[in-house]
Amino acid sequence: MTDERLQSLLRDAIDRADSELKRDLWPAMRTRLDARTIRVSPFDWALIAAVIAWGILFPNAALALLYHL
Amino acid sequence: MLQSLPPVIATFAPSAPDGRLSRFAASDLEAFESLFREYQGSVFTWIVKIVRDRGAAEDLTIETFWRIYRARARFDPRRSFAAWARRIATNVAISHMRHATWRRLSSRRDEPAESRLYLDSDLGVREAIIRAFGTLPPKLRAAATLALIEQEPYDEIASALDISIGAVKSRVFRAVHLLRKKLERMGITP
Repeated sequence: MTDERLQSLLRDAIDRADSELKRDLWPAMRTRLDARTIRVSPFDWALIAAVIAWGILFPNAALALLYHL
Repeated sequence: MLQSLPPVIATFAPSAPDGRLSRFAASDLEAFESLFREYQGSVFTWIVKIVRDRGAAEDLTIETFWRIYRARARFDPRRSFAAWARRIATNVAISHMRHATWRRLSSRRDEPAESRLYLDSDLGVREAIIRAFGTLPPKLRAAATLALIEQEPYDEIASALDISIGAVKSRVFRAVHLLRKKLERMGITP
């Protein structure tokens, strides 16, 4: 089987894609942007985890922390 | 609706000097929306040619623009937005192919598969080719799909894959070689 024969069979088996976009995707994009806008960053999660860990390790310090908030 | 989109959505020609690009790089959401509306069609077209699944291509178009938006600070407004978007779209599409099963958007897409069974005496060979092609490594499959099936120019494929034209030819050659070996293993030597 030559390369040309194989390529011809491939083109015969698989049509070119119907590639025209038929709807506006901006509303979906906007939804994704809005969802990500209110996302808590990994740094904030790390900070929250550190405060919780601190509270567990040093429960007496929780009162001092609350006092400073 | 798409009728409201500008008529230039299907081009990947280099962007003209455009204040939008600078505003986009400076996080202007209106500039991003304008670029999205202009290029969503061409990005979708490129992706669907690679993944051959319209539903997935819509999701991947959104993913592509999401990555574009996240990387806006690194974008150089003097460069072509279209070429940059296409490179990101290609990476997103190939990444998707690593996890997705090969969809059979094969020939005669208007007919259900069952009717093809009776209409096409070469069905066995065709099915085997589709199946074997779907098992090729994603990078080879993407290059072969764009070059052999979609018949895109090699320089455009090279730009999208961020490799040389020689490397594209090498990938296509390896894809055909691998496809032939797989078919021979399946007992098909037409």
